Amino acid sequence: MKPKTADRLATIAFWLLGGITVGVLLFIILQIFGRGILTALNPRFLLGKPEAMKEGGGVLPMIVSTLYLTGLTLAISLPVSLGAAVFLSEYAREGRLTNAIRFCVDSLASLPSIVFGLFGMTLFVIYFGWVYSLIAGAFTCAILNLPTLMRSSEESLRSVPGTYREASLSLGATKWTTVRQVVLPSATPGILAGTMLTIGRIIGESAAIVYTAGLFVRNIPTSPMDTAAPLAGYIWYAQTEALIPDFRRVVDGGAALLLLLVLLVNFAARRIGRYYQRKKMAGGADG
Amino acid sequence: MDDQRERITEYTRKCADSFLQETRMEEPGPRMTLDNLSMSYGDFRALEDIMLEIPRERITAIIGPSGCGKSSLLRCLNRMNDIIPGCRVTGEVRLDGENIYDPGYDVIRLRRTVGMVFQKPNPFPKTVYENVAYGPRLAGVKDKGELNGVVEESLKKAALWEEVKGKLLGPAMNLSGGQQQRLCIARVLAVEPEVILLDEPCSALDPVATQRVEDLLAELKERYTMVIVTHNMQQAARVSDFTAFVMIENQGEPGEVVEFGETNHIFTNPADERTERYITGRFG
Repeated sequence: MKPKTADRLATIAFWLLGGITVGVLLFIILQIFGRGILTALNPRFLLGKPEAMKEGGGVLPMIVSTLYLTGLTLAISLPVSLGAAVFLSEYAREGRLTNAIRFCVDSLASLPSIVFGLFGMTLFVIYFGWVYSLIAGAFTCAILNLPTLMRSSEESLRSVPGTYREASLSLGATKWTTVRQVVLPSATPGILAGTMLTIGRIIGESAAIVYTAGLFVRNIPTSPMDTAAPLAGYIWYAQTEALIPDFRRVVDGGAALLLLLVLLVNFAARRIGRYYQRKKMAGGADG
Repeated sequence: MDDQRERITEYTRKCADSFLQETRMEEPGPRMTLDNLSMSYGDFRALEDIMLEIPRERITAIIGPSGCGKSSLLRCLNRMNDIIPGCRVTGEVRLDGENIYDPGYDVIRLRRTVGMVFQKPNPFPKTVYENVAYGPRLAGVKDKGELNGVVEESLKKAALWEEVKGKLLGPAMNLSGGQQQRLCIARVLAVEPEVILLDEPCSALDPVATQRVEDLLAELKERYTMVIVTHNMQQAARVSDFTAFVMIENQGEPGEVVEFGETNHIFTNPADERTERYITGRFG
């Protein structure tokens, strides 16, 4: 084959492969939105209570469950993972301990989420007696997301130039002041980006929460001890086990809504990242 | 004619020398004294038995070929080497008679007394104002008026005020390289140090910006003791009063001070043959 022909073939092949990737995504998005977007945006569906046996149920408690669960999970996992990341990148000297920590974290990250779900059920739901509750689901999700959140935070901290740390220390700052005033603010956009990805994962998580947070509720959960039904788990439930006559409508609408939520979070992540980039350039005025 | 001129120059130099000697008599001893200072990174010995006296309110240049340990030497003076894992220092560095490597010595206080300007301008990704206010804030200054005063004064001392007074709340990263470096100097001045260490402060700057920084150093000499590491011999000759020449004999051996003395001496009439060879550009 002539080099020129080979080049042309290669070009076509790569365009094709790139096109397939975009095409698959577009196909899924269009399918889901095409089937469910009208239902998803219908106020009676969005703001209504679910029905167990009848038609016309809504998903408001599920939306609240999802948001509630996301907030609680972050409240638990963000401080822990950020603290561990600061320890690994700023305090720990490379050695056996840091290697052990990284090995554990990476192993944790490669476990399938159903394992976390069953572990959470055994420990939180049964052993601690928390039954199906938001708090049990949040702890399970927090453990599930700890590795990614920690590693992404650690990467962001490590990407802060060492010259900033040197400058701060040479001006008579302590290590902790340097971390607080210089390193963390500079790493914030990266940490936020990682957090946003995590939020997307929590919103879409089902295997870890169906046996911990709950599958079906009629009322909006208020206390962390309340049983909940996050949207992703509820879609699975409606499709496979529920006795709802119009389950197709609920599943399609729920899926469209879920996709919408995740897209919104991704969009917000980009906006927040850009905002912080600008604010960082303009200088954080926090004393 | 030429003969006469030479005699006049000779006479002027003698007068200046005796004047310098007299004024030095009145001064208390050197600001910093390095006594048998050795330093190693892990198994690698970077510096050995360094003896040096840093005179008060003068500029001391440390020159030498790349990799001779001159930056390491500088970083021993404010214990910035402490943050490098595996780095070990023995011997003494005395600041006004006190050994800064004494276990009880307050490193924070040391770094406020001995400030540092780095090779690459490294302002924080904050505003111009916040960069200068960083040190005073660390020291506990909270009053807005006082902070404003310190920021303005420091920027004026660093000859940067006129250029940035309109953009104090703009990002420091938007300044030019030379302005950033003078901002870093202002940031150090705001801490009110007594000694300022400069680690090749102009190596990332163009000639015009370099000139401005050198002018600034000449002004600051009145009030501060300065130590500048440079691989630019012209710069050492231009700005410094004293010069220390550091080199390594063979690859892998530790750096040592070959010669130390008044700059014009070192550059016109070096005592050591190795200094002469380096200065005349025959190696390094």
